[in-house]
Amino acid sequence: MKQNILLGVLLVAIALLIALPWYAPFFYIFIFTEILILGLFAVSFNLIFGYTGMLSFGHAAYFGMGAYTTAMLLLHQDWPFVYTLFAAMALSGLLALVIGFLCVRLSEVYFAMLTLAFGMMVFTIAHSWRDVTNGSDGIAGFRIKEFGLGLDLTIGNPAVYYHVTLVVVGIAALILYIISRSSFGMILKAIRQNPERVSFCGLNIRSYRLASFTIGGIFAGLAGALIAPFLRVASPELMHWSMSAEPVLMSILGGTGYFLGPFVGAAMFVLLETWITSFTESWMLFLGIVLALMVMFFRKGVLGTFLDWWMNKND
Amino acid sequence: MKTFNPKNLMVSAMTAATLSLGAGGVMADDHPIHFGGIYILSGSAATYGEFAQEGINLAIDEINQSGGILGRQVEVTFEDSQGKAATAIQAARKLAYQDNVDALLGLDSSGVAQGMVPTVPELQKPFIITHAATPDVTGNLCNEFTYRISVNVPQNQKAAARIAAKTDAKRWTTIGPDYAFGHQTWEYFGNYLKELKPDVELMEQTAFPRFGAEDFTPFINGIMDADPDGVIISVWGGDLVNFVRQATNLGFFDQGYELMFTVGAATEVLDALGDRMPEGVWLSTRYWYDAYDNELNQKFVKAYMDRYDHAPSYNAQGAYSAIYAYKQAMEAAGTTDGPAVAKALSGMTMEATNGTVTFRKADNQAMVSPTWGKTGPMHPEHGIRTLTDIQVFDGEDISRAPEETGCSL
Repeated sequence: MKQNILLGVLLVAIALLIALPWYAPFFYIFIFTEILILGLFAVSFNLIFGYTGMLSFGHAAYFGMGAYTTAMLLLHQDWPFVYTLFAAMALSGLLALVIGFLCVRLSEVYFAMLTLAFGMMVFTIAHSWRDVTNGSDGIAGFRIKEFGLGLDLTIGNPAVYYHVTLVVVGIAALILYIISRSSFGMILKAIRQNPERVSFCGLNIRSYRLASFTIGGIFAGLAGALIAPFLRVASPELMHWSMSAEPVLMSILGGTGYFLGPFVGAAMFVLLETWITSFTESWMLFLGIVLALMVMFFRKGVLGTFLDWWMNKND
Repeated sequence: MKTFNPKNLMVSAMTAATLSLGAGGVMADDHPIHFGGIYILSGSAATYGEFAQEGINLAIDEINQSGGILGRQVEVTFEDSQGKAATAIQAARKLAYQDNVDALLGLDSSGVAQGMVPTVPELQKPFIITHAATPDVTGNLCNEFTYRISVNVPQNQKAAARIAAKTDAKRWTTIGPDYAFGHQTWEYFGNYLKELKPDVELMEQTAFPRFGAEDFTPFINGIMDADPDGVIISVWGGDLVNFVRQATNLGFFDQGYELMFTVGAATEVLDALGDRMPEGVWLSTRYWYDAYDNELNQKFVKAYMDRYDHAPSYNAQGAYSAIYAYKQAMEAAGTTDGPAVAKALSGMTMEATNGTVTFRKADNQAMVSPTWGKTGPMHPEHGIRTLTDIQVFDGEDISRAPEETGCSL
């Protein structure tokens, strides 16, 4: 029964998202485009963090890699947009595979520090290699014309781009959900809970960690590929460690234990930022207070706390 | 959060045309005209944004006291660009779609301008740049909605090269921020100087510290080791304040170099430095409050100093003038409709505090000249260095020819 209600709520939420441009103020199209993209970024991070139990502090490297790939392909090669998404996923995945190979042998704080170090290394390259990445100014001025696949979409129109984002993020989230529910996903969860036990079962933990890390990187790259045309610029800030902190915050805000938790966290993050910065410049102070309260009293995040309470009610 | 609001449908839904046709005429008369300003309001260059706000607020109060624009009152909303392109683009979208502003102005940074300008036509709002100087936005990235009232890099560097060519310095290098502005300054200065004086040497050893870097010591030492004759310095904002202090301590100003600060006479910086700004160095500015002997300028400087108790900077003057440019364009167009106002700005000539200013039809760049001068004694009342040997050039003469800009409007 409760499962059906949840499914119903989810379907209504999806319907509301699809219909957004017809009832919401125009500005909220931008807000929700950002929420969807950052939500995907956070969900891709949560596969590594919430499921596999590895706290990566350099996830923005793959996000930024995706953004630069799309921006540069649009600027120099005039590729149709949809193909740049695949290229971004491939390159980000490759980067995550290489960095992950060097990182997954370590665990806990050493893993976090090493991913942070690699993340800042990638940032520094983007920031300094002026001939290729245009330095701190980033890649801008690219045209967004063709979608590809023979579809006649004017993706320069924010409402159309919102729908494109919704479809792409929806498909990606579905794939990630299937992965998380598969036997592979179960093993990741088991690794988080007790890695020794999993290795006693004869499984190579390192390969599973690397696979999880790479898949997370691929989908972070997809999120990055969506953000560049949205922001109209791919700049080194997208790779900065403070950007790597955002999916961590979003996952904690929404809840790491449920698949959709990071999406809820992303929505809270972006909406709070939009509303609070209308009143004050110091929105980070408010975010800090909210986060401190969450970590102290609602460790499972907003979605996690609510669902756990509701599912156990009347039982 | 705003929920269902019929006014918002006007901009989004298919019914836009019919609704706005019905409502446009009635609403137009009582709603204030709304400007959106995007400036750096936080970080090391925040004073630039504050001076721009002062200029805009002064212009708006003057206009409101004398009957407004098209009989309507005028108001402004500011957004912080944080010196980042993505933030500025989001801010412009917020201003255009959420606050429904009629026109945009702003931008302090070349990098931000390069990112934002290509998105302006989507907003269908006119946009006047009042500070950012990259040639690209009135060059290969130009569009029919974007104008610039302030001096750009080529104008400033052509003037700089003329001054540099008259000095004895043969070996030139640069210190500039590591983004579009610093690199383009060096590129244009070098090219113009080579044209005027082919035997100068443009040194390999240059210094491009990160914008917002706090420690300039290694860069200053590097330049001193290379022992140039002349240095063109495009560091600006809070960075320039830090730079001058550190350079003083390292003895940089005692080496006998010919020093040219391409945006050194920003009163924000001169205020902060006082007599620590050395005497006898060349400073440039897009506007020097003491250099223009016309009635508008006298009125502006007096009103500004009475109200804010410091001299107006070029950023204050650019922002102030942009509001008056919009006033003239909106009155010429007879409407605040975005495309119509943008069209009215094209080729428009206005009387500004720095003389007669024309937005060139070919690239929407104002034909204006920088003011270069040598630092002299402290001003007895204003607490900043005076400028001596002031040089102002003809705007048209100092600008790139239309075919050099890469802009085809």
